[in-house]
Amino acid sequence: MKILVIEDEQALRENITSYLNVDGNICESCSALTPALQKLSDYDYDCVLLDIGLPDGDGFSVLEYLSTQQKNEAVLIISARNSLDDKLKGLNVGADDYLTKPFHLAELKARLTAVYRRKAFNTSNKLVFNEIAIDMQGRTVEVNQTPIILTRKEYDMLLYFIANKGKVISKNAIAEHLWGDEMDMYDSFDFIYTHIKNLRRKILDAGGKDYLTSKYGMGYKFTEG
Amino acid sequence: MKLSEHYTRTSVYITITVLVIGAVIYYFAIDYIGRQQLDRGLQQQLTEAEEYARSNNGNPQQYDLDQDHAVFVKTNEHLLKKRFFDTTYFNPKEQRKEAGRAVEDFVKLKDHNYRVVITISRAGQKDLIELISIITLTLLAGLLAVLFITNKYLLNGLWKPFQLTLKEIKQFNIADVDQFKGKPSKVDEFTELNEAIKEMSLRVTHDYLNLKQFTENASHEMMTPLAVVTTKLDTLIQDETLSAEQLAQITDIYSSVNKSSRLNQSLLLLAKLENKLITEEGPIGLETILTEKMLQFQELMQNRELSFQYNLQPKQILASKYLVDILLNNLFSNAIRHNNPGGVIVIELNSVQLSIKNTGAANALNGHQIFERFQKGKDSQGTGLGLALVKNICRLYHYTIQYQYEPGWHTFVVTF
Repeated sequence: MKILVIEDEQALRENITSYLNVDGNICESCSALTPALQKLSDYDYDCVLLDIGLPDGDGFSVLEYLSTQQKNEAVLIISARNSLDDKLKGLNVGADDYLTKPFHLAELKARLTAVYRRKAFNTSNKLVFNEIAIDMQGRTVEVNQTPIILTRKEYDMLLYFIANKGKVISKNAIAEHLWGDEMDMYDSFDFIYTHIKNLRRKILDAGGKDYLTSKYGMGYKFTEG
Repeated sequence: MKLSEHYTRTSVYITITVLVIGAVIYYFAIDYIGRQQLDRGLQQQLTEAEEYARSNNGNPQQYDLDQDHAVFVKTNEHLLKKRFFDTTYFNPKEQRKEAGRAVEDFVKLKDHNYRVVITISRAGQKDLIELISIITLTLLAGLLAVLFITNKYLLNGLWKPFQLTLKEIKQFNIADVDQFKGKPSKVDEFTELNEAIKEMSLRVTHDYLNLKQFTENASHEMMTPLAVVTTKLDTLIQDETLSAEQLAQITDIYSSVNKSSRLNQSLLLLAKLENKLITEEGPIGLETILTEKMLQFQELMQNRELSFQYNLQPKQILASKYLVDILLNNLFSNAIRHNNPGGVIVIELNSVQLSIKNTGAANALNGHQIFERFQKGKDSQGTGLGLALVKNICRLYHYTIQYQYEPGWHTFVVTF
C-alpha cells in the first residue's frame, strides 16, 4: 500500500510514517499544502492521510484537487476540529473517513486499512490471514473452513488486531475502538479481557493458532504466527 | 403600561390641574373687574344724585320718584362711611328680584343729614361670567379630547421608527451574516439610537467571531499535542524491553491523555451550545434511540448486575442527533455509574416527558449544584461536565431538566 501523509506537526508525522512503514507499505510524507499537491500530481497513491489545518491553506483543497483530477486515492482526514460541520463537509467533498485528534496509531491503521480495502476490492471483499478467512460483506469468519460465530465486538476486535498485526495495542486504544466515548476507561478494561478471552477460545476451538499475547495486562499483541 | 399611555395620563392630569386652577383665578378676576366697573357706575350715579339733591334745595326724594334704585333716608347719625355692598335688586320692568350692587353714603343737605342708598342690577354681569365659564369649560373639554387623540395617533406614529428598531433588535442573531441596519428616521434621537445599536452590534459580532475563532484554534492547538503524546506512547509500547511497572505507568498516562481530550471536547461543546453554534436538526424518534441506548449499555449493566424497567411511548422530537446522543449517554452512564450493585433503572417516555430513575445512594443530591460545571462526586471518574452539557442541551431546545429524590431513588426528568 502506498500512502501519503500530509501533516504539519513533525512529531506526529514521524510517528505515523514509522508505524505505517511495515508489511511492504511505502509511506511518504509532507508538511504543507503546496508540496502535497505537487506529490499528488506527480505520483499515484493508494491512500492519503490528510490534516485539515495546514500552515499554507485548507486541507479541503486537496480533496477538491483530487476530485477535479479524477484521482482515485482513498482519503482519511485527521483533524483537530471535532465539529460535525467539518466532518460532513469532508465526507461530502470526497473523503472516505474522518478521524479526530488525538487518536491511537492502531486506530489510524485500522481505519486506513478499511478505507483502502473498501476502495480497492469493491465487491469480493474477502480477507484471508493464514487459516482465518473473513467475509467482510457477510461479516462472517471461518477458521480452517469451519465457520465460527463471533459477537459484533469480537468481530470488530479481530479485524482491528489483524490490521495492526505484529504491534502491541494498548487496552486504552482497544476500548476507544470498541466503545468510543461512551464509556469510562476503567469500566471497559474488564470487558476487553472477557471479549479477548472469548475470541481466543473460539479461534482455538476451531483449530486455529493462538495469535494473541498479553503484555503484562496493559495491552495485547496479535503475532503474525 | 406603554410609554404613550404614561405620557397621555401625565399630560391629561397636568392639563386638568392647570386649567382648573386657571379657571378659578379667571373667575375671580372677572368677578373683581365686574364689581369695579359696577362700583364706578354707582359712584357716578351717587355724585349725580347728590348734585341733584343739592341743586333741588334739599328735597332729594324727587331724584328718584319711584324710589326703585335711589333712596334718601333722613338720619341723625353724623358720620357714616361710604360703602359698596352686594344686595338684591327689584327689577320693576320684569317684576322680579335680581342680584344687585349698592352704594350707601352720607349726605348733608341744609339742616338734615341723609343716608343715600343707590342699587343697580348685577344680572348682566352674572350672565357674562356664566357665558365665559361655559366657553372655558367647552375649551377645556375640547383641549382634552384633542390631547387624547393626538397622543393616541400622532405619538404612535412618532414612535414607529422605534418599534421598527426594536423589532430588528429582537430578530438580531449574532451568528447571522446579516448585520443590524436600522431604518433611517427624521427624528435625531432615533437616528442616534440606530447608530449606537449598529456600532454595538458590529462590536459584538466582531468579539463573537474572535471568540469562535479562538475556541477553534484553542481546540486545534490542544488536540495536536495530545495526539503527539498518544502516538508517542503507541510507538513506545512497541519496545519489547519495557517492564510491567513501566507499562502500568504508560496505561495511566494514556488514561490522563484521554481524560484531558474529553474535557477539552466537552468544554468546546459547552461553548458551542452557549453560543448556539449547533444548528443542524432533524426528526428523531426518541423511543427508538432509547431502545438502542439500552442495548449499547447492556454490557455495563450486566457487569454491575443492573436491570432496566421501561415503558416507552412513541415521541418525535426535532433536534440534533449528535446532541441527543450526548444527552442520553450522560443520563444513562450517570444512572449506571451511581447505582447500587443489583439495582434498577426505570425509563419512562411519554409525549410530555422522559424520566430516567435509578436506585442509588440514600441521600439526595443538591438539585442546583449538580448541573454546574465541574461539580462531581468525590469518587466520580467523569469530567464533571456531563450534567452541565445535559442542562445546556435541554436549554437549547427549550426543554426543562429536573432532579428529584425519593428515598433511595434518584430521578432526572426532561420535560419537552
